[in-house]
Order: sequence, then structure tokens, then C-alpha cells
Amino acid sequence: MELDYLATVLLSSLSSASILLIATIGLAVVFGLMGVINLAHGEFLMIGAYAALTATQHGIPFVLAIPVAVLVTMAIGAAVEVLIIRRLYGRLFDTMLATWGLSIAFYQLAVLIFGTVTPGIGMPQFSVKIGNYSLAGYPLLMTGVAALAALFVYVLMTRTVYGMKARAAIQMPEMARAIGIESYRVNTLTFAIGCGLAGFAGAVLLPIVPATPSMGFAFVIKAFLTVVVAGPVTLTGSVLTAIGLGGGASVTASFLTSVAGDAFFFLITAFLLWLYPLGITANWRSKM
Amino acid sequence: MNLSVKDHGISALALPAQDRGKVAQEVSRAMSLSEKLYQRAGLIFPILATGGALAAASFIDPYLAYVATSWVIFGLLGLSLDLVWGRGGLLSLGQTAFYGLGGYVGSILAINMAPLTGDTLVWSLPAGAAFGAASAAALGAIIFLARMGPLQATILSYTFTLLLWSLTQSFKVTFGQAVVGGDNGLSNIPGVVLGFGQGTEALGPVEVFVTVVIVSAAIYFLCWWLMNGTFGRVIDCIRIDPQKTELLGYDIRKYQVAIFSLAGAIAGLAGAMFGAWANYLNPSVFSVQEALLVPIYVLVGGLGTLAGAFVGAFAIGGLSYYLGGGAVGGQTTLILGVVLILLVLFLKNGLVGAMGELWRRTLPDPNAAARDAGPVSIDPEVLEGILVEAAERAGPAKRLATVALYKRFGGVIPVNKVTRTFEPGRPYSLIGPNGAGKSSYLKACVGIYMPEAGSVTVGESDATNAPIFERVHQGVGVKNQKPQVFGELTVLENLSIAAFARTGNTQAALDVSRKILAMSGFERQAKVQASALSHGQQQWLDIGMVLCLAPRIVLLDEPAAGMTNEETRELSALVRTLARHTTVIVVEHDMEFVRTLEGHVTVLHQGRVFAEGDIAALRADDRVLDIYLGRREHV
Amino acid sequence: MFRIVNATGGYGKTVIIRDVSIAVDRAEIVALLGRNGVGKSTLMRFAMALTPAFSGHVEIDGHNAPEAPARRAKAGVGYVPQGRYVFPRMTVTENIAVAAEANGHSGRPAVEAALRDFPMLRPKADDLAGGLSGGQQQVLALARALATRPKILLLDEPTEGVQPSIIDEMAGILKRINRERGVAILVAEQDLDFCLSIATRAYVMEKGSVRLETDRESLRTNKELQQQLLGV
Repeated sequence: MELDYLATVLLSSLSSASILLIATIGLAVVFGLMGVINLAHGEFLMIGAYAALTATQHGIPFVLAIPVAVLVTMAIGAAVEVLIIRRLYGRLFDTMLATWGLSIAFYQLAVLIFGTVTPGIGMPQFSVKIGNYSLAGYPLLMTGVAALAALFVYVLMTRTVYGMKARAAIQMPEMARAIGIESYRVNTLTFAIGCGLAGFAGAVLLPIVPATPSMGFAFVIKAFLTVVVAGPVTLTGSVLTAIGLGGGASVTASFLTSVAGDAFFFLITAFLLWLYPLGITANWRSKM
Repeated sequence: MNLSVKDHGISALALPAQDRGKVAQEVSRAMSLSEKLYQRAGLIFPILATGGALAAASFIDPYLAYVATSWVIFGLLGLSLDLVWGRGGLLSLGQTAFYGLGGYVGSILAINMAPLTGDTLVWSLPAGAAFGAASAAALGAIIFLARMGPLQATILSYTFTLLLWSLTQSFKVTFGQAVVGGDNGLSNIPGVVLGFGQGTEALGPVEVFVTVVIVSAAIYFLCWWLMNGTFGRVIDCIRIDPQKTELLGYDIRKYQVAIFSLAGAIAGLAGAMFGAWANYLNPSVFSVQEALLVPIYVLVGGLGTLAGAFVGAFAIGGLSYYLGGGAVGGQTTLILGVVLILLVLFLKNGLVGAMGELWRRTLPDPNAAARDAGPVSIDPEVLEGILVEAAERAGPAKRLATVALYKRFGGVIPVNKVTRTFEPGRPYSLIGPNGAGKSSYLKACVGIYMPEAGSVTVGESDATNAPIFERVHQGVGVKNQKPQVFGELTVLENLSIAAFARTGNTQAALDVSRKILAMSGFERQAKVQASALSHGQQQWLDIGMVLCLAPRIVLLDEPAAGMTNEETRELSALVRTLARHTTVIVVEHDMEFVRTLEGHVTVLHQGRVFAEGDIAALRADDRVLDIYLGRREHV
Repeated sequence: MFRIVNATGGYGKTVIIRDVSIAVDRAEIVALLGRNGVGKSTLMRFAMALTPAFSGHVEIDGHNAPEAPARRAKAGVGYVPQGRYVFPRMTVTENIAVAAEANGHSGRPAVEAALRDFPMLRPKADDLAGGLSGGQQQVLALARALATRPKILLLDEPTEGVQPSIIDEMAGILKRINRERGVAILVAEQDLDFCLSIATRAYVMEKGSVRLETDRESLRTNKELQQQLLGV
């Protein structure tokens, strides 16, 4: 009985951590590869959610609505890169402030277009039973989705020519161009992929987190802290910190209160930064 | 030569004053009125603005005065961020946390003390400032003592704000007569009351405006004075290159915590004033929106300008007021977002910065002198004089010794149990293949790398675990591989900030720097920004800064890189003279240069001492030829 | 084969090079000499289209070179900048492979060829380039430029901070590549000996302009010239 309860807490915490990771991974790509903190990441997630919602409302099945959301956010992301981000590479805090401006503008536009209340979509109905406890299946499925998303990004960035070009283009943009890499195009694509991953997160989480204009805020702060604590080896680092921080906060929240969960998250973040001032992966020698 | 420097104030560092010889011709060229005004703009315009605000108070609409008071308070909050960000280099998103904490603490005290004494500001402002300073000092100590990266520091400050946000939502506490009600906030904060005893009444909106303007102006001028003096210059140096600043012997963490605490005090005081102005506080002061609004004020006004924070707060406040002050709140947010993007993209230096730039274009270019720089020529007699004087002040030359010094990075061991003693007398050269660990060895001696095992002794005292600045105090002077100069500072400021680290006296620092200036052939470039110098000139400036420290042990990492053969010869003369008075260790690849030093040569290979002797002996050593020198007649 | 014609360029409003014309023939090695700050690096960057051109242009095989650096690289200009600039968080292998792939060559054989040419990189093949020593990075930057299979190689101060035996080795490799593959080389250097050992012709720059053009022999023998122009 008690063991069953513990198992459900652990499973649901794992799925919370996975949800955090899904929401974070696009930010990790953009930050890890481009050195850009995209504070509008949460709004891209929101755009993805609305795109998927609108698609399903037009009769497109949910599974197909996800790629629609990815394409929409990638296109907007590419436009944002060309118009704003491109001019600010290497100016970390300037990009942070510009994307924050973008974030509040997007938020306000969403309020104007969609209003503040929107219908949710039904969660695919299946559940998992542990003893007397029953857990909704869809959130548990997110564990697998998170793992696949992380694997996809890892392979894309380390095993493909595009990945090499993307890393070269952002590490030394001028030098990359001097050896024949079309840095501008590659960077636009990388940023678009990061935004597309945010859109993917918004769409795939839609059954769990209904689309609202402010949904981005809820995710972006924690996603952002996760990436920063992760440090320079962003992808692997983010997986670890998402599990540690997100899972830990969720466990704390289920035994105490949700405020305690948040407090846990922030305190552990502060503690980890104290231990690892440059992020937990600062001294690692791996690439992603 | 006769020294007669007139300017004795702290500002002597900021504004190198009229002086002897060639310097006099260059520096004391009659400044136009425009130039004089430009240099004092940070003082003159705020005085005019303060006067204008006080004059306007006599006729403006009380409601506008009431609203404008909040802009002044936000400007003060912005000023606190500009100190740590624009000058100190750390984007703190914790300013609203100190602001809120100062507001809560000051207001709680005001609520409790008002019935007893009447006057509220004498309690709330100092209390807010003190609490703001204390919490900033605590957070700053964590950030700076841990030597956090800039992004991590920003994030930690943000986390601190968020933590307060989530905590204050839920907790309900009573302090005496003050009830802090979580989400409901803290209400019934007394307004601004000046004067003691029963029956004193809260001031009206216009009087409050006047009071707030006067307090804020006083704080602004205090900051201006502080940041234009040596303290501010050191803070600037830390922002530009923290490592170099520490290599000059400054304990940068103290300075960083100090500026952070000062900013915390200002933010806390602003919070307390805000509480008195609004009569109400709630957890939304800790919110994300609030935290990110402060950088906007600073950016709109102009980062690093101090006065810009007020300009920004007035611009944003005025814009919102004009747009209807919340009546069309939605559009205000949208417009703010777009304005922020446009600002970052097109008005990087803000309003004040952009106007200053326009103005500066009408003035003569102080960097013009960089282009007609003459060759460096070291006068051995002058150098000798400087060194003898340095020895009188700083004591005799010291030896540097390492015993089994060991440093590893993962699987790489760049310094593998090196035991060497370096004595004054003749120069030591470290040569060896790329990757042999020469630079790493120097860095371990200086404290840039902390060794895993072994010891470093400076003179007679053990320095193995001493931080960089302490080793510098003990007499170690270092020039790293790349020239490290403070690009935004002038040549003379670069030298005098180095000299000040040792002398602790502005006047003495100027004297020393002028001598070094004359010796390195930089007289005509005294007021040129270091960034305008060529690579080779920067090398010389960096060497000059090391000399300003009067080091007892000098470590030079590839000083001849990028120098012409002519300059290399001068350098060789300098190093040989230096070695007669101090211990000198040089890492070099230029074998011709090493030969002319006529000193002792140590070959490092794979982190170990591989061979030693004079250059002729090493040339005859087959093993050295194999690993390093090569066999062709190249060198 | 490769010509820079009437190049004038600089930063902002400041003109650093003025009306410079230079030609390098097929399979020729030409040195660009001059003191610090005469504009050698700026000319190199101009040739790579990294410095804005106020006027003048670059020709490859009689055609105008493309304006974008990436396309110029694909047109056959290889560049090794002063200060190395390898991609620090990529391995040695990746640094070389990405250069080959960006120009439409297959990565793996390019890496193999590079490790054959520069055996000192082989033990470091899987290390991050940022962790290499200065000299190793310099060699890697050279290997990376060669992986683009350039017609002309622009080398900016390749010997700076490199140990003598590697400088010798580098001179040998450059000569061999020049001989075997017909790659032309334009090398900007302070190190006169290095230049004399590989180049057959030299341009000497002064104050942003070409002061004179000379061959190896007259440069080697004319001490006065060395003294006056190069500060040797």
C-alpha cells in the first residue's frame, strides 16, 4: 500500500521532470549552440499550443496537429532570428532583454487574438494502475517523448553535418564563413529548430497544459534555470538538472505544498550555482 | 624634473591634470568650453534637472506631481541597477528584491514608530537602506566569493527575487502594529511625515515630490562623486577585465561586494520611499514583470551613465501616463515590449548615451595622438632610477621557488612536479614545445591556476594557496600572453590605476605613472584610450603597468610576440636591466630574443624540466634539438 | 591567378589600407612583409571579404570573386587568420571535417589526409580544439584551411607563438603542398627568415600601402632595406 503510493509519487515526479525537459530542450539547443537566452521561449511554447489547438479545432487529428505546430513555430522563429536575434549575437544580455520584449509582445498579441480563456482538448484516455492507485497514461507517456526528443537533438547536433556546421557557425561566426559555411543560414535554421522544439512541447503537452496566453511564464522560468544550472554541456546537463530539479520539486510538492515545491526548486538552483558557479557541466570535456 | 601637479583630488585619476614637459603641451592644450562642459556633464545637467524639478513643483498639477514622484523613485531603483550593471558589469535581477525588502522593513518600522515619534522618514529610509544593503551584501558574498560566471550571477539574483515572490504570497505575519498579509500585502503605511511629535501630518503630493527629488538628488551626486573617483575607476577595471584587475593586486571581490551592497542600500531606500508614497505594498514588487522593468529604465536612459536611469524612468513613466496610465493597459504592455526590442536593436546606448555620442562627435578626437606615436625607446638610466626607487619602497628582490608543483586538467598534466628556484641577478627563460606547460607553470605560480600538489614560495613566505592579489602584494608582477589593458581607459589612467594598487595614494600613483609614461615613449598618448593603441603598443603599456607595481618578481609570458625586431631589442635591454634588480622569468619562442638575454634557460617538456643551461649548451643537446629547436638552420 | 586590385578598406570611417594591388600566380608563394600595424592583416581580411571594401576588388582566375566570405571560400580561397580561431568546443576531427563538408567534400577522407599531413594532430584527433596548445591550434587552423581544397591559401602570421621545430615543419609542409597540389600561398609574416625560406617573391607594406615589390634574393642581401622597412 505505502509502497504503491511511493511508486505513484515517483512515477508522476518522473513525468513532471520529463515535462520540464520537453519544455526545456528547445531552450537548451538555442542557448547551448547559439549562446542566446531566449526569454520568449515560453511564448513559442504557447504559440505551438495554440497552433495545435486551432488545427484540432479544424478537424485535424491531434497527432497531425503536432507537426503543424512545429512548422508554425519554426517559421516564426526563423523570422525572429532574421529580424532581431541575428543583430545581437555575442551580446548575451541584450538578446535576453530583446527576447523579453518579444515575450511580452507575443503574450499581449495572444490575449488580443485568443482572449484569456480557451477550451482545453480532451486528454487521450488511458490509465495505468498501481495497486489501488490509477495514474493517467498520457503524462507517463511524456517520459518516453522526453527521452526521444533528447536523443533526437543529440544525434542531430553531434552526428550530422548540419550539427557540425551549426556549432562551428556559432562558436566563430566569422571564421565559419571564411571556411565556406553559410553562417547566417545555418544560424537561422538552428534558432528555428529551437523554436520548433518549443512548439513541439506546447503541442504535445496540450492535453496536460491547456493553451492560455500566460502559459509561457509558468514554463520559461524553470526551463531557464534548468539550462543555466546545466552549464556549457547543455543537452546532457539539462537532462540531469531537469530530472533533479523538476523531479525533486515534484516529490516535494506531493508531500508538502506546491509553494514548497517551488521553493525547493529555487533553493536547490541557488545551492547548485553556489557549488558550481559556472554550471554543473563546466569542467566536462564533452560536446553536447 | 620638477613635479608640480595641481589637481590633488580623487578626480586626478579621472582627469589627468596639467603637468610638466611634453605632457603639459599635449594635455593642457586649451580646452574649449564645450569640452569642459562635456567632462562635467554628469554633474551639470543633473543639477539643472534637480533645479528644474523643484521649480516645477511650484506650479504643476498635484496629481502629476503624485505620479511623477513614483518615476523619481523608479529612477533611483534604476540607478541602483546601473551601478552594478552599467559600471560593475553584473546584470542583477535582484534589485527589486532589495527594493521590496527595504520597502517592507522600512514600512513596518514606520508603522510602529510613527505613533511614537511622528516623523516616519527618519526611520523608514535608514532602515530600508540598511536592510537592502545587508541582504545585498549576503547575496553578493555568495555570488562573488564563489566567483560565479556572469550568467549564473544574473540567474542567482533572479532566483532570489522569485524565491521571495513565492514565499511572500503565502506567509502572514504580524510585527507590532504592522500586519503582513501575504497576498493581501501590507497596508496602512504612513505617508511621508517630516517633523516630530503629535499632530504632525503627512505631506501633500507636491511636498512629497519635493522631498523625494531632494533625497534622490543627494544620492545621485554621492554616487557620481564615488564613481568618478578611484573607487569607480577600479569598478570599471573589474568590469573590463577582472583577472587583470586582480593581477594588479586589487581584491576584486571586496570591491564587487561593496558596489553590490551600495546598490542594495539605494534600492532598499527607494523601496521604503515607495512604501511611504503608495501607503501600500504587496508581493507584486517581487514579480517577474517588476524585476525586468528595472533594466528597461536603465537601457532607455543609457547603460553606465547613472543619470540615465532617471531619464529612462521618466521616459517610460511619461509614456505610460500619456497612453492613459493603465486605461488601455493591454496596449501599453505591447508598446513596451516593442519599444524594448527597438531600443536594444537601435539605441544601444540609450537616450543619454546617444546624445552624448552626438555631442562627442563635435569635439576633437582625443585618440588622434595614437596615430603619430613614435617608436618605443627604453632609457636604461630612467629605468634604473625607477627600479632603485622601487627597491627602496618595496624592499629587495625576492626569489620565487616551486617544489614539486603539480597541476592537472582531467587527463592532461601541464605541470608535473616542477621543482625550481629563481633568484634575482640574471634573467631566466622558459622554453619548450607548444603544450609543454610553460604558460600553465607561470599561471600556477601566480595563482590563476591552483595546483593540486606541491608548493609555491614567494620570498620566504609560502604562497601555495594565496589568492592572486595576495601574491601580487608580496611582489609578483605578471604580464600574460595577450596584452591585458583596460581599453576604455586612457593610457595614463591604465598606468595610474596600476600604480595606485601599490601606493594607495593618488598623487604618488600619478608620479610613478608619469615616469613610466616618459620611459615607454607614451608621453603624447597619455590621454589616448588604450583600445586605440596598436597591438605592439598595448604590449608595452601592459609591461609598463607591471613596472608600476614595482614587482620584486617579474613573470613575462611571450612579451616579444607581435613586436618588430627593433622593439624586441628594446625589450631585451629592458629585461636585462630588470633582472639586475628583480627576479625575472620570461617565456618565449623567439630564440634570438632568448639568446640576447644571456640568461639561464630552462626547457620544459610534457610538464617537466627537460634540460637546462645556457643557450649554447642547449643547442648542443641532441634531445633538445629533437623536441624543440629543430635541426635546420632556421633560428 | 589571384589578384587584389586597388584595395581600400578599414573599419568604420578609418581607412587602414589604401589602393593596394597584389597578384599571386598559380603555384606561387608570395610573402607580405612590413612592420606591425601597416595593414597586412587588414589586407588579408579584405581578400577574404571580412573587411568592408571601400573600393577595389578581388579576382580569382580572371573573374571577380564573390562578395560573401562563404562563397569566396568555396571559390577557392583558404584562410588561416592571425590568432588561430579554431572552433574551441569541437574536436580536432570535427574542425577539419566541417571545413571539408562545407565545401562539398567528404569529411572522413579529408580528416585522414590531414592527419597524414600533420602527424602531430593524430594523438589529439578526438580532443576538443580549445584544449590544444597555441602551436597545435595553429597547425590545426592550417589543416582546416587545406581541407577546403583551396587554390590559394592566405596565411596571417602563421608562426606567431609557434615553437621553432614546428615552424620548420610547417615550412616544409607548405612547400610540399605548394609543389604537389599547386596551391598558391600568400603569407603575411614578421618572421623574415621563415618567409625567405618559402617565398620567392615579396611585397613590402608601409602605412597601408605597398611600398615595393621585390624578390627573395634582393631582400636577403639588402640589409638596408630590411632595416628600414621591417625594423629587422
